[in-house]
Amino acid sequence: MQLLANGLIAGSLAALIAGGLALVYGVLGVFNLALGQMALVGGYVTWWLHQIAGFPLAASVAGGLLTGALVAWLTFEVFVNPFYRRHRFLPLVTTIALGMILDGLILILFEERPRSILPGLKHMFVVGDVRIGTEQAVLIVLTLLLLCLFAYVLHATAFGRRIRAVVQNDHAAMSLGIRAPVLHRMIFILSGVLAACGGVYIGIDQNLTPVFAFPITIKAYAAVIAGGKGNFWGAILCAYIIAFLEQFVVGVRWFGAFYVPAGYQQTVALLFIILFLLFRPTGLFATSSRSG
Amino acid sequence: MGFFWHVLFVIANWFPSILGFNLIFGRGKMLHFGPVGTSLVAFYATAIVLKATGSYLFAFLACLVATELISLFFAWFSLRLESDGLGIMTIAVHLFLLAVVLNWTTLTRGALGIPGIQRHPFLLSQPRMALTMVCVAVLWFFFMLWIDRGPLGRKLTALAEHPWHAEALGVNRARVQTAAFLVGGLGTSVVAFFWVQYLGLVHPNDLLFPVLILYVMNVVAGKPGSVAGVALSTTLLVLLKEGLRFVPLTPDMIGPLRLILFGLILFGAVWWRRDTVFPPERKI
Repeated sequence: MQLLANGLIAGSLAALIAGGLALVYGVLGVFNLALGQMALVGGYVTWWLHQIAGFPLAASVAGGLLTGALVAWLTFEVFVNPFYRRHRFLPLVTTIALGMILDGLILILFEERPRSILPGLKHMFVVGDVRIGTEQAVLIVLTLLLLCLFAYVLHATAFGRRIRAVVQNDHAAMSLGIRAPVLHRMIFILSGVLAACGGVYIGIDQNLTPVFAFPITIKAYAAVIAGGKGNFWGAILCAYIIAFLEQFVVGVRWFGAFYVPAGYQQTVALLFIILFLLFRPTGLFATSSRSG
Repeated sequence: MGFFWHVLFVIANWFPSILGFNLIFGRGKMLHFGPVGTSLVAFYATAIVLKATGSYLFAFLACLVATELISLFFAWFSLRLESDGLGIMTIAVHLFLLAVVLNWTTLTRGALGIPGIQRHPFLLSQPRMALTMVCVAVLWFFFMLWIDRGPLGRKLTALAEHPWHAEALGVNRARVQTAAFLVGGLGTSVVAFFWVQYLGLVHPNDLLFPVLILYVMNVVAGKPGSVAGVALSTTLLVLLKEGLRFVPLTPDMIGPLRLILFGLILFGAVWWRRDTVFPPERKI
């Protein structure tokens, strides 16, 4: 049960980031390899506002998310928009460059040592066999609420219908009067905000360190690829599945004889990518675009 | 004088692997982001066999076999996957190999690396090591020019522009792409054989993801597919990288600044060459 709870905690974080990434891939068809760094920027800014500048937690989180949105907007305008119309693989290279730049800036501004938004002892409570922190429980509930809100917006509002139309075929959507380029920008910014949420989550639940950036990106990609590129709900589901598997692989005593070393935990996501790309490159829930 | 020989060696040592990568990424337009994974296999194979047997011939042969095997895997991926899938897959394989190296401590010593690798008696002095590497680099440069201007280079260009059209004209995609990866693997084997002896140490920190940016940057800056251009950009960028150590800043500032500078250079190079990195198909 404890492994399930740990999987739920890790899965909530991964789901936030993978969901935004799936939307971006579905709409723009581009991979953003600086996503992990964008998540960390949101987390670090929240840490700085709360721990250094002394703002209340809610205001600090709002500041972190706002910074995430700003970084995502700048990323779109400078590193994605001038390139993805020429060739959709160009942003893959430009966002690698952005990732390096953000890595360097994070190291200079926030240094390499771990930073926690809420340092000190966590308040734990016990339900049956499961020990879980109050902050973790709040983060899990908030993630689920956020996903429910997303489900409502995506499936029950005019704005959501426009997004789904652009995901299916942006030229057809434009001919129906939907301003696809504006939606592209908005969805990219939304993915940045979700990534920043993930950064805040890490900063509250664990510690922020610059080395987290790439594993965050890789886990999100594993979920997006396994869920069917561009499928929002497929990515969310696979983010949770990968998180649960990560916990089980290192948490179970295999054949009653040995434990898999914790260092192999992150290879679960990598194996997911490798196996899915080799044997089911369309993922579990592939969406097909309608064509005439 | 020591610094001169060091820089000369480092520049020459980059040539075989970067020109091999240029054949795949620059000429073939295959989104191969796993050259550092190939290096990881090559470096560790050389170091482990050299330490175990003391034989330089066995070490090179083991490195060659291991490197060509992983190159064959990458070639197979390139035939099965779309370009963006190949990019993500090759990154995943690199990180997977890194995780294995870090955790299989009985074989690789994990994060400690493998120290104490002896140089071949002929390569003991710094000038001799550097000059030998320069000779190898010059030979490799002309070998790559020959390949680039020969049938393999032309077929890769045709496949990069339009695979179906090229195959309709008789180009065997599987054979050509596999040959390109094998040439790249051979270059990496040569690099590993000399680099491991030069440093006397193999350490996983030298084979992390950021090294990939140097590969991509050198190729994009030098004009993708151009052997001479990539050779020139490699020379200049290695000079810049090595020269940064003389900037009067603390070591904990140099690392991040290097990341920012190289990120900016890569972005600038892609901006400058945005029409040629992945050129659109020609249409009538």
